[in-house]
Formats: sequence, C-alpha cells, structure tokens
Amino acid sequence: MSIRRSYALNQWKPNFDDFCRPDAHLRAFKTVVAAGFTGVELRGGTGRWDPLGRPSSIEATYGSLATFGKLLTDVGLTAVSSWAVDPGEPVDEELSHGRSVLERGQHAAIVEWARPFAAALAELGGSRLVVRALPAAWQVGAVDDAAIATAAECFDALGAMTAGHGVRVSLHADVLSAAADDEVLDRLLAATDPAVVGLTVDTGELTLAGLDPVAVVHRHAARLDHLQLKDTRYVDTAGERLRPHAEHAFLTAGGDREVERWFFEVGTRDGLVDAPAVLDAARGAGYDGWVVFESEQTPNPASSVMLNGWCAKHRLGL
Amino acid sequence: MTYRWAYMDHWRVDTPRGPQTQYANRRLMDDFVKQIAAVGFEGLDMFDFQVYGLSGMFGSIGKYQEYLQDHGITKIVNLFRGIMYDPRVADAHVRATHDEIVESTRRMLGMWSDLQIENLIVMPASLYTSTAPVTDDKIAAAAECWTRVGEMSLTEFGVRTTGHHEFFCAIRTFEDIVRFYELTDPRYVSFFCDTAQHCIAGVDPVELYERLHDRVSGFHFKDTREQDTTGAYQHRPDAELMAPQTDRWFHEMGTEGGLVDFQRLVRAMDAHGYDGWVTVEHDKANIGGDYAESTALSMWYAKQVLGKVAS
Repeated sequence: MSIRRSYALNQWKPNFDDFCRPDAHLRAFKTVVAAGFTGVELRGGTGRWDPLGRPSSIEATYGSLATFGKLLTDVGLTAVSSWAVDPGEPVDEELSHGRSVLERGQHAAIVEWARPFAAALAELGGSRLVVRALPAAWQVGAVDDAAIATAAECFDALGAMTAGHGVRVSLHADVLSAAADDEVLDRLLAATDPAVVGLTVDTGELTLAGLDPVAVVHRHAARLDHLQLKDTRYVDTAGERLRPHAEHAFLTAGGDREVERWFFEVGTRDGLVDAPAVLDAARGAGYDGWVVFESEQTPNPASSVMLNGWCAKHRLGL
Repeated sequence: MTYRWAYMDHWRVDTPRGPQTQYANRRLMDDFVKQIAAVGFEGLDMFDFQVYGLSGMFGSIGKYQEYLQDHGITKIVNLFRGIMYDPRVADAHVRATHDEIVESTRRMLGMWSDLQIENLIVMPASLYTSTAPVTDDKIAAAAECWTRVGEMSLTEFGVRTTGHHEFFCAIRTFEDIVRFYELTDPRYVSFFCDTAQHCIAGVDPVELYERLHDRVSGFHFKDTREQDTTGAYQHRPDAELMAPQTDRWFHEMGTEGGLVDFQRLVRAMDAHGYDGWVTVEHDKANIGGDYAESTALSMWYAKQVLGKVAS
C-alpha cells in the first residue's frame, strides 16, 4: 500500500442545515475527484439534516450503504477512508445527549454507538474510526491518571470492537480537546493498547493548540495511523481554548482577536504548518495510510479542495 | 484521445472588496493558477487585452508564462480577440475598415510575439442586430477580412486565425457558417467550435463539426440549458447578458439538463483523429454559481465521463 489522498467533507457543512441534499454531495464528490483525491472522510452527526452523519442516515437518504458505495465508485472515489466521530456529541437517534469516555458506566453504550460506524467503514473500504481523544479541556479540567486510565479502557474496548471489522480506532486531539497537550497525549497513548488504538495527527489543530505536529509524529511514530493535513496562521498563545465555552467564543466567534478563520489550506501564505516536514517524519516512520486534507471554515469549499490538491501534487509529492 | 485541456479564463471570486478577477493582485492570481492546475488543466486561454495588466504584474507576458509553468500550466494556448465592432472603425462586413482590423490585429499580436500562441479566436462578424440583413455579400466581405488577417497572423506570427460564432453573431446559422468557411482561404482561417453557442442558436455542434472538421483548430467545451426560443439573438443592445429569456445561458459540462451531447461530439472527434487542445469554458458561472466549483465539475466530467467515451 502507498499513501493515498482523501478529503474531509466537514468543510462543506459549517451549519446543521448546510450540505443536506444529495445533489450537493455529488458536486462535492466530483470536486474532490477532479482535484486528485480518491477517498473522503465523513464527519459523525445526527438527525435528518445530516444525511452523511451516520450509517442509518446514509441508508435513509441513499437507500443502502451499497447504493451509496456504488455512487462513490461511479464518481471515481475508491473509499470512505475514515469517519471522524465524537462520543460526547448528542445522538438523537439514541435519545442520547452525548456520552463521556471519562465515565466508565457509559463505555458499553459508546462501543455500541460506534459499532455501526465500524461496520459501515468496512463496507465502504475505510479503515479508520477517528475518535475525539478527550472532551474539551475547559470541561474536564486537569486530567489525572485515573481519568486517563478510564478513557484508555474505553478506547481499548472500542478498538477491540472495531478491529473485528478490520478498522482501527485512531485518537484525534482537536484544538479544544484536553488531549491537545503533549503531556496528556503522551500519557493517554501510553495507557492504551497499541494493537488496537492509534493516533491521528491533525496538523492544524495541534499547531493552533501550541503543539509541534512534527515533534508529535516523531515522538509517537509507532502509533501514528492517520494523518489530517490543514494549515493555520495562528497559535492560541493566550490560552483561549481553555476558557469556558471555547467552542463558541474561540473557535466559532474567533476569540479575542476576532479571527475570521482559524484553518486554511495546506501551504497557505503565512501558514505555520510545515507539511513537508510532517510528511517526511511520517514517511520516515513507515507511514503508508491515508492523508486526509481539510480546510474547515473556508468560505469556498471547492476552492480549498483545488488549492489543497495543487499543494499535494506540486509541493508534497502526493 | 490525446486531448490536452486548456482553460478559457472568465474567472472571478468573491473577496472582501467584492467580486474580483485574478488580475487584481498576485494572491488571487496564485490561487487561480493553482486551482486550474490542480484539476488537470495544462493550458490557459485568455483575452488579448490582458497583456497590459499581466505585463504590469509580472514585468512581461513572457515572465507570466514562466510563472504559469512554475505552477503546472504549460503555456498560454489561445487568445480571444475582443474587437468592439463599429462600422465607422472596424467591422468585418465593411470593407473600408479591413485595413484597420488587419493593422490593429498586427499590433496586438506583436505584444504577444514572445509566446507560441496557437490560435487567435475572433467573432468573425459583428452582432446580428448591427449587421442585419445578413447578405451573401456581407458574409463574403467578412471572409475577405479574416482571410487577410489570417494570412498576416500565420505568416508573421505563426498564429492561426479562427472563427468563433456566438449565438448573437451575424454569421450564426448552419448555412451561413458553412458559407463563410467556403469563402475563406482554408490555409488562413480555421473554425473554433463553441458547443454551447451553437446549441443556443439551434445548430447541432456535432453536425457542424462533422461538416467542418477539417477546418477545426479548437473547441470551447461548455454547456447550455437553453435554446434561443425568443429571438434573443436580436435583443438590443445585448443578447448575452440582457435578453429576457434567461439570465444565464452558459453552464459547465455535465450540468443537469444540458443540451450539448459531448459524448457524441467526442466520438466524432475521435473518428476524425482530432488530437489538439480542447478548451473548457463556462463563462457567467458566477450567476447563481461559483467559478471554482464549476471548474472542478467541468474537469470531473472531462476525465470521468468523456475520458471513458473516447478511444
């Protein structure tokens, strides 16, 4: 296997009522294929206005996963490379307001919630269930060893379940997550089973949180099993990501600096992510999985796909 | 099929300053070139008058082409000559203005002489409304004009002169178009087939291509959902943006409800051994749409649909 290019569809859906219609999905798929990507990454979601958010929603919209898979193939895609999910998000279909990996009593429900995703990924040619590593830092506070152990139990159980479908659980530390911290991330990975739990390195999220994604790749080379490339021009030097309600005040509203857009295409001017160095480090570690490009908060998803596609081909050799 | 894909530039994007073209600044130019290169275009077509802005931005048009090559675009392939026809100054059916058309074209091509431009694309007659009634003599006068221009452009600059017939052009019917090419010297005047323009005019572009295939030097592959059923081609002062029938005549290849049968055309092109550049165009895409997405969708169709049709 060699490194393959995938594209995250999250940038098409900034709000719950965007990107609902299948014709919009089709245009996005064609755009992704035209720019040289062969896979797509889906984002977990709930409700009738998120038709790609969960397997049952795909079935409700497209008739079956097989029909959806054939559509992807007909367009020129080879797989849904991955599905990015957050156990803490509400699930209307399960009458759940969200669950926490830090509560042992919810682990079984989390595993069952994830089971259809793993099965669907297997059917659609994917191999990674990208799971939010820990809830938002402002919500969980200090993460002690007991919390790490509890979360690790959940991820190990999740990983064991998905492994039965040929899918690996890959932990993703977004900018708001308590895991977007070198020391917490190190402890969390050390506590989980390398056989079934890996690491997603999301360059833009880690950089914005103040981490060095190249160093993270070097430090956890053996655990790296998923790569998400996006750029940012900013670092949260004021620690705004740790403040209450950072989801809105920081990420959506732009924080104290009123930043209009945190994330950009790889190679953007003044970008802080050294994508070639990240890829060199990953390749040096023998990485041969999907590289997922994304650009949440873009004002024009098609433009971002093409800009990322250009960079992938002409600057990154992908 | 060994086509090479070129992009006819009508691009614009929304910016904090409102809609702008890539000629506004280098950042927009960088984004534009990267995007068209990303989806597989190798060539770029543009309007002749862009030489002024590009020379200012890059120092010379040659430097601009070097910049394009650094970003994955091989060359500037075709120029579209935007002549503002006026019977007092320059109008192909007015013989007294032919000298001016030849000389102004010579001056223009001189500004591009550092490059290897392949085609100079012209609308070979003025607006229908400015020319009507269209007579045999007016067509003959236009043929004389473009034969002179074509001889000059080929012998002095190595550039073929080629006719592009907008649906509102005076030479717009199947019979008149064929007649025009019968009256021009095939050594000096070629035919540039714009699929949507002919469809709108009620002319089957495949049938026209079959008739004139040995004169064809290029294509604009674009689609339309509308045939002109209201006499829009006669609308004054403008048909393309102001006729009441529709506010958007043109769409990208593969659009739902598109009237152009591209698959049939590609089979015909294969049958005749066409192996040159094919230009993708989708002007006015910003009317209810978006140039970036429309560009990607066009190339998806070119590769995934037409690429499988062609031999």
